[in-house]
Amino acid sequence: MLLAPQTNLMHKTKLQTIYLSLLVAFICLLLPWSGFALKLRPDFVLLVIIFWILRAPNRCNIGTAWFIGLWVDLATGGVFGQHALAYTVTTFVAVIYQRRLVLFSNSQQLVYVLLLLIISQLTLLTVKTFEGNESLGWAYFLPSITGVILWQIAVALGLNTSRPSRSK
Amino acid sequence: MAGYHQNLDQQQAPAFFARGPSPLARLAFFSALSLALMATDSRLQYLSSLREQLMIVLQPLQLIANAPSMLYESTNEYFSTHHRLLSENQLLRKQALAQAIPLQKMKALELENSNLRQLLDANQSLEEFSQLGEILHVGRDPFTKKIIVNRGSVHHVMDGAAVVDAKGVIGQVTRTYPVSSEVTLITDKSLTIPIQIERNGLRAIAFGHGRDNTLDLPFLPANVDIKPGDKLITSGIDGIYPKGLAVATVTDIQTTQDSPFARIVCVPTGGIENHKQVLLVSISPPRSTTRPSISSKQSTSSQQPVNTGANNAKPKATSSGVMNESNQLKKITNEVPAATVAPSTPNKPHAQD
Repeated sequence: MLLAPQTNLMHKTKLQTIYLSLLVAFICLLLPWSGFALKLRPDFVLLVIIFWILRAPNRCNIGTAWFIGLWVDLATGGVFGQHALAYTVTTFVAVIYQRRLVLFSNSQQLVYVLLLLIISQLTLLTVKTFEGNESLGWAYFLPSITGVILWQIAVALGLNTSRPSRSK
Repeated sequence: MAGYHQNLDQQQAPAFFARGPSPLARLAFFSALSLALMATDSRLQYLSSLREQLMIVLQPLQLIANAPSMLYESTNEYFSTHHRLLSENQLLRKQALAQAIPLQKMKALELENSNLRQLLDANQSLEEFSQLGEILHVGRDPFTKKIIVNRGSVHHVMDGAAVVDAKGVIGQVTRTYPVSSEVTLITDKSLTIPIQIERNGLRAIAFGHGRDNTLDLPFLPANVDIKPGDKLITSGIDGIYPKGLAVATVTDIQTTQDSPFARIVCVPTGGIENHKQVLLVSISPPRSTTRPSISSKQSTSSQQPVNTGANNAKPKATSSGVMNESNQLKKITNEVPAATVAPSTPNKPHAQD
């Protein structure tokens, strides 16, 4: 079979890499967070999903996000489907703007990631309000801030989502 | 070169454009699926067994995640100084000695109480089954106040078991997994606990406040006989919490002109957020086991004697023949026949103890 010439339009990513990174993010979620650290805890899993959606949209898509969301629901002990819904909505927005996003500069991307994280949190907040939970005030959005900081650290360490240059 | 041009015709769009169903279709599909799941999980009971089974899959990951903190703690313990251990040992000895006499007295009183009850033909007070559990981690949802304990349905923990620490009630088991269980703390907004004022026996229901680790006593009239400093204990009329466990202390009462109800704020006596070991107490006997196996498990599980005062809050009655014969339903509603059998005695059948 003849393969389409894998141009450097996209990063070549192995599926194992994606799943392994998601597993690591999931274990980060499972760490025994408590007290103020719990309030600050960034959404590791969603960050990794966003990263892969920007970098390898053919490998990681809304379905992946939904599936991982179910496991997050299981781990947090909440009603099944709430994180799944939040991740689905967030990744939808990410997928819609993916082609534009990879052309963005770092700072533009950072703002965009912050927006995505807030969308996820707002979806969760809506669901939880329907369930009858009370609001936590503005501190509820702290994980979005820490998430963006974590994203910036990851970018500084050399992970980038921008389209690879053609001159390879 | 010509071959390459031929190939171009057969060639599909590069992976960059090949995306399968449109994002909107995926969004609609997966959102609908999530909403259906949420509705099923919150209104129907189909998913609880699935959740239990999936938790087994999660268990190894949980162990990996807990490993760093466990390692830290164990090394910390290993390097704890000789002096500190000695002083702690001395303190524990003193505490054990101080508690020995009340404990001995309580055994005698318990026996006397059960004899008196037999004389009165009233039902025996409830037996309690308790086991030591260790807190694995705090609940991951910042909206709720929950803890996860390392005892599960394998250890015969059942939904509804009361969770107690050395100083008082801290919560209730709301969900059991195979080797862990989820405990909702009494300060959670969704948890209520039937209480009694220790001073005057007034019954009420305490609601968790949710935000700032306090309890509310709503719907009590503004002239109610409650003062700051009053102790709240479990009333035991629900058949869930054993009677007489400390729950909270009243700290503040506010009455306003425009409301017929008093606003009563209580602070839990149990260390809601600062304990490692807790005691899981259930009134009804475990499902399919004989009692000796439970008691042996209990003795093996209490290898870390840090939770010193726990025995104080755990009046573990010796098993009596009467209990074995009475069925479970009778056990749960035992307070009512006790009151009807002996109408001449005061309304509270436990007033003598």
